[in-house]
Amino acid sequence: MRVPIQIVDWATREPVQAELFDGVTVEHFLETQNEWRPVVVEAAKKMVQSGSPQDIVPRHFHWDWTSKEADLRILAFSFIGISAGGNLQGLMKLENAGRSGRIAWQKGKPLTYVDYLETAPWNIKPLMQALGRSQKFAAVGTRLIEAAVRKSLDEGFKGRLALHSLTTSERFYLDVCGMTAVGRDPAKQNLLWCEFTPEQAERFLKEGAT
Amino acid sequence: MNSKKTMTLNLTDQEMRVLEDLSSQKDLSKTAILRQALRLYQLVDVKLAEGGKLFFEDQKKEKAELMVL
Repeated sequence: MRVPIQIVDWATREPVQAELFDGVTVEHFLETQNEWRPVVVEAAKKMVQSGSPQDIVPRHFHWDWTSKEADLRILAFSFIGISAGGNLQGLMKLENAGRSGRIAWQKGKPLTYVDYLETAPWNIKPLMQALGRSQKFAAVGTRLIEAAVRKSLDEGFKGRLALHSLTTSERFYLDVCGMTAVGRDPAKQNLLWCEFTPEQAERFLKEGAT
Repeated sequence: MNSKKTMTLNLTDQEMRVLEDLSSQKDLSKTAILRQALRLYQLVDVKLAEGGKLFFEDQKKEKAELMVL
């Protein structure tokens, strides 16, 4: 699957052509390690040194997509990326089996779980501010969550979707995407479980991020 | 999206009843239930082949290893 999509140039606010694809390979994982990770680590260090509030210092500086290479062959997992301007702009790993809803009336209903979602560091405003640079693109995370909802629909899960949000991303999932905060999960570093019901997912796809 | 192939599946009455019950409980089509089963079977099979173990924990927190052939 390769689908043309639009993201937004942060400087001009103009739409930019990008590509959403599911043919993710180990080359993309290596690109995150070589191109993204050093920038995330550098920004995190600067933020800590300058006394930035803990809740905006990135928590994903240690992520290593290359460790997920074996998962590329597992049907229960799927990977989706976004590229623009010859570079990877966002990457996501989904679990499509073995997860179910935690909202009371959704319990036991299977859903797609966003295991990892990362946008390139140059698309994350606080990181670029820490480095004295401008953010490059906006709407990459939103396009990935839309793709995750479509995957849920394709799996027959009716748009049901869930994830454990890093503290730095909670406002995005709750306020921008409109997911429900179900509760903190002691089994997952006390991260917040956020969930879309079918109705919320349909609204998100129809009306977009707010 | 990958193109899909069609296959015919023969089930006993009991197997069909279980499939229909799961379909109703999980709010999933019968096809989606079987795709879920395949995904889980492959996942477990790969993890076991890598040396992993699969356990069920009961309410008394006692663990029983599940053998998958």
